Amino acid sequence: MSFEDIPVDIGVVYEGERVRGKDMFVELGGPKMEKKFELAIARDMKDIEDEKVTVIGPDLKDMEEGSYHPLAMIIEVAGKDIETDLEGVIERRVHEYVNFVEGVMHLNQRYDIWIRLSKKSFQKGFDSLEYLGKVLIRLFKSEMNIIESIQVTFITDPEVVAEKYEDAINRYNARDERARGLSDAEVDTFYGCSLCQSFAPTHVCTITPQRYANCGAISWFDGRAAARVDPKGPLYAIPKGDTIDEFTGEYTGVNQAYTEKSLGKVNSVALYSAFDKPHTSCGCFEAIAFVIPEVDGLGIVHRDFKGDTVNGLPFSSMADSTAGGRQIPGFHGIAIEYMRSPKFLQVDGGWDRVVWLPESIKKRVEQFIPDGIGDKIPTEEEAMTIADLKAFLKQKAHPVVERWVEIEDDDELPEVMSSAAGDYVSVPGELTAMVGGVGGGLEIIFKNAKIYAEKVIIRRKDKGGKKK
Amino acid sequence: MTADKDEKTTSLDDMFGDFAELILENVTIELDELRLAIRPMVQQAARSVGQSALAVPKSLITSKFEAPIGEYSSIIHEVTIGATKGEGGTRSSTLTIGGHTTPAWDLFQSVPKNPPVVSADVFDMKISLAKAVKMHYKEVLEDPAEWAKLCVNKYGADAITLHLISTDRLLKDTSPNDAAKVVEDVLQAVKVPILIGSAGDPVKDGPVLAKAAEVCEGENVLLCSATVDVYEEIAEAAKKYDHVVLSWTSLDINQQKELNRRLVDWLRPEQIVIDPTTAALGYGLEYAFTMMQRMRLGGLLGDNELQYPISSGTTNAWAAREAWMKAPELGPRELRGPIWESVTALALLLAGNDLFMMLHPAAIKTVHDLVNWLKEHRKVPEEDYHDWTSISIPEGV
Amino acid sequence: MAKLPGPLDIYPLLPGTNCEECGEKNCMAFATKMAEHTVKITDCTPLYAEAKYAKKLAKLDVLVRPPVREVVIGTGDNAAAIGGKLVLYRHDLRYSNETSFFVDIQDTLDNEGLSKRVKAIEDWTYVYIGQDLRLDGIALRGVSKDPQTFAKAAKHIAGIANFPIALCSLDPKMLATAANAIADKRPLLYAATMDTWAEVSEIATKHNLPLVAYAPGNLDDVATLVNTLRAVGVEDIVIDPGTASKAGLGTTVDNLTQLRRASTVNEVESLGYPILGSPISVWADHKEGEAPELTKWDEVLVASAQIVRYSDIIIIHSLDMWTNLPTTFLRSNIYTDPVKPVAVEAGFFKYGNAGPDSPVMYTTNFTLTFFTVESDIKQCNVDAWLLTVDTEGMSVQSAVAGRKLTADKVAETLVEYGVAEKINHRILISPGMAARISGETEESSGWTVKVGPKDSSGIPKYLQQGMWKEE
Repeated sequence: MSFEDIPVDIGVVYEGERVRGKDMFVELGGPKMEKKFELAIARDMKDIEDEKVTVIGPDLKDMEEGSYHPLAMIIEVAGKDIETDLEGVIERRVHEYVNFVEGVMHLNQRYDIWIRLSKKSFQKGFDSLEYLGKVLIRLFKSEMNIIESIQVTFITDPEVVAEKYEDAINRYNARDERARGLSDAEVDTFYGCSLCQSFAPTHVCTITPQRYANCGAISWFDGRAAARVDPKGPLYAIPKGDTIDEFTGEYTGVNQAYTEKSLGKVNSVALYSAFDKPHTSCGCFEAIAFVIPEVDGLGIVHRDFKGDTVNGLPFSSMADSTAGGRQIPGFHGIAIEYMRSPKFLQVDGGWDRVVWLPESIKKRVEQFIPDGIGDKIPTEEEAMTIADLKAFLKQKAHPVVERWVEIEDDDELPEVMSSAAGDYVSVPGELTAMVGGVGGGLEIIFKNAKIYAEKVIIRRKDKGGKKK
Repeated sequence: MTADKDEKTTSLDDMFGDFAELILENVTIELDELRLAIRPMVQQAARSVGQSALAVPKSLITSKFEAPIGEYSSIIHEVTIGATKGEGGTRSSTLTIGGHTTPAWDLFQSVPKNPPVVSADVFDMKISLAKAVKMHYKEVLEDPAEWAKLCVNKYGADAITLHLISTDRLLKDTSPNDAAKVVEDVLQAVKVPILIGSAGDPVKDGPVLAKAAEVCEGENVLLCSATVDVYEEIAEAAKKYDHVVLSWTSLDINQQKELNRRLVDWLRPEQIVIDPTTAALGYGLEYAFTMMQRMRLGGLLGDNELQYPISSGTTNAWAAREAWMKAPELGPRELRGPIWESVTALALLLAGNDLFMMLHPAAIKTVHDLVNWLKEHRKVPEEDYHDWTSISIPEGV
Repeated sequence: MAKLPGPLDIYPLLPGTNCEECGEKNCMAFATKMAEHTVKITDCTPLYAEAKYAKKLAKLDVLVRPPVREVVIGTGDNAAAIGGKLVLYRHDLRYSNETSFFVDIQDTLDNEGLSKRVKAIEDWTYVYIGQDLRLDGIALRGVSKDPQTFAKAAKHIAGIANFPIALCSLDPKMLATAANAIADKRPLLYAATMDTWAEVSEIATKHNLPLVAYAPGNLDDVATLVNTLRAVGVEDIVIDPGTASKAGLGTTVDNLTQLRRASTVNEVESLGYPILGSPISVWADHKEGEAPELTKWDEVLVASAQIVRYSDIIIIHSLDMWTNLPTTFLRSNIYTDPVKPVAVEAGFFKYGNAGPDSPVMYTTNFTLTFFTVESDIKQCNVDAWLLTVDTEGMSVQSAVAGRKLTADKVAETLVEYGVAEKINHRILISPGMAARISGETEESSGWTVKVGPKDSSGIPKYLQQGMWKEE
């Protein structure tokens, strides 16, 4: 793959470069434009012309230095392994690829895109969107071999952009709905990811339609696309196998993958519990669901949260217990997207078990918190000590309060006392007493005694054979 | 019984019915009065409990030790390097490594089928070497064939690694054809198996190894190396001319597994040896050590992407400044350097490494010695366990 | 395989009062740290002080007891804690309590000789990645075979040494006399054997001293001896299954492996004790007039094999730098926490005659990264500056992905080391792997960022060609 015909340099080296206002030739999309978008669409082979680049409206050479223009970028792809479900995965790469171009900066995605071209690059000859189209086509084809045919259209004509805008928005919404609507039961294959296994040799990340990858970066669709593009790469298929328990999220295929890839350490995983056979984490989870035993609930904290949480521990302290590929009940690495899933911690009680989370996270997942429970879960604004937390939960009658009654009723285990000395004498193994005295031996008299035994076996020496 | 606190005690028959035994768990019994008449056997139990702390055993309490046999579901592949006349080559010996069924040196469970081997480094151009090394090779530095002979005949190398570093565009940019001529020279000079090392130049490595593979057809050499960036051309050449490939990654187990996955598109498992990269003692050795242990265990426990014998660029030990720097207060360099390479090798030997690529003659000998000492399950005669508490060691030593 | 308890297993056995006496905010925090084995159960003073927690303490003690018990030799700050191992493989968690190096002294030396050697042992040091490598203890050997001489030497050493002491003799009378003399220093008694266990164990229990159970070459004998000593009431046992070198090295390594597997994998509680190795044994083969280097070479090999394979304490002789550097480095490497990468100090480093117009590069403080970059800079004889950013020991690529190497962090580091005051220009060369944050870094720092090569091997060419100055 060569870029010799492109007037500027192309490479990873330019990924983070910024183009400042004073250095820019033009700005496309961005905050000054109301409508702009980038969109990937899966088409049939016959409906597109491979490697065709179209520019509708003024091209770069027609624009005035320092001007602002709307932009729509439409990437249409086809191939026997291409489907609508892969559009999001493909579209997400536009940001990366556009940034590889020297002197071109691309920010955000979807209907928020913001692109700037530097004066320097324009002067070097990058004066047409055709060049950008060529670069995109070559990168897409070389990195994603499932794309057999691709065509790119740039629209800078404000009227045409406006025309196509609503369609784009509808497509994004449909995609999101589909992504959230797909259930584990509807698919045969989950995806495993080994990207972060290096320091956690027993960790296997299982990505399902309803369980996002811990790092927050990979959805089931991403897994599917990646495994298709590169079956030998870090994302691989995990055949679901038989459903052992759909509620807890136990599948024979997942258990097998774990057994094979975890140096034999983990054999059984329930995908939707933080306590019972929990899914493991390596070190790059977005957030932690951590147990707060004083209220028998789970708190949530994310990596960017600064300072201590309600239990006095910051993210970094709890991260140690969460990481390392071990099944540690009560310290569960999760993605924020997982909190939007209908199966979120469902074995443990789902949102009814969540007792604290940061304000910023609450806002992000607000729509997905079931009715009625949201107000009962405090954030750092309402509770920052266990005492305050308890009071808040009680006052709001949070469902977790019902669990507390059991804890209070548990008395301390009674101790064995001998009526005389007061010292606890433990008897190793068994103590067999023949009741009823038959000549010789001794008689022990207990008065006002409380005897605790782990097991009392009353054996009848004559009758029957059954045991109760 | 506590459950029935309020009921009158029923008859035994009522309690038992057809059952012979009632087992009550976690029972708390509250009593006003209970009389237990205890037979002599219980008395004895009570007494022995009280006295056990004071009684001293009169003689040794004979016990047995149970060997901690582990369970491993898979076997590491066996890979052979080199080919004799009957096999299509011109070597007088071949090397076979791998075949493990248990973790490294768990002699109590099994003895290694193929003991580890050492290949000596030879370079196709004069390079700068630490003084402690140069003193052994200074006459052959500009003659790879003689260099190879010296390593085999004098230093007992089991194989030769010919590093074609002159092909690096930043060094001499030697062409693949010219480099291949040196390969032929070495093939003529020695009859041990040959390993061919490229320069680490991403543009030249593929063509250089491909050409070397061609001129070595039939010899079953080890092509070093395929990496995640450059592997297709090398794998193709290995397939075409039937050689073995070194799958080399940078201390990243996932990268290693990925590269191995890709290579099997061209190669049989018996054509792959893996190298996770060796970092020097003191400068990352523990990463290599742990990676090797994890890979070996993973392979034995069923991960088929890790069931390959392992190789180490042990010469990297010389990157540690302590190995070569001039510092009399740290002891003589003639000892410091080779012991550095030896200890690096020993740690990795214990981790499961099968093929050592080494430089200093004393270190090479040490590894050979270590392998001979470790490889058999021997009963050590009693007299070989010395009473070190009473031996006299000369003063000042 | 022994399963290490998690925070939820530990928490119910703590008082649950959140009293903060342990130094943690609450009991859960303490429980999580106990699960990571970064705090000790003794830090929870209420558990020990209050009778009502006796049962919980007893249970907790058993729950968190490492498969290999910890034994303490000596007293005070320099006491050597050995054993306390939690796992068989370091990648399963980490190895705790580095192998203790006890260096020998012969009791036949006069007082001046004894003092000199004690000083040499205690002063031995080398600075490695910011830590002072040191030896750990003194093994007094009863070469004289005379109890009085042995005891006198012990007393003299005990009077001047800071390091803990091991009293080494297979003769019970020697041990008895010396132990009487210096019991308050809590020396390790080496050793009780299949023949001497009764007498020697009495010395151990009388003074409450740790005791080595020595039964060479036969693991059934080891089991027998250890079980007998346990029954007799010896609590702090150290196991020596015998060290044979050369042709016996394989068996030596195998016995160490079997013992460690027995306690960590098979959970044989009765063998869960620290192990002792004696590389010094090689000196029995040293012939008079022979070059000591050969014997020292063998000692290093045996010591290295034993450090890697489960020995918690080794007895050595050589004090040479060339023998002890590789072994102390090896020990340091094997005992590094595999999850926490090794880091160097952050800072601003000068190479060659770098001045205010020389190029400025930055990198992370992961040891491997730093040393590799440093070596590549040095190789090319260009005067340059290197700013090392604290990314908690992560490599460039990991730190960018893990958000530890950020534009703000780089900007902060530039300010922290006053780089702007030392440099005339404002061009910062970033590692190729940090290209993604180059723009942001320009904004945060105000410097112009030039993205350098992806691999540090490209640094010589990059610097030599002056590419960073290009507009």
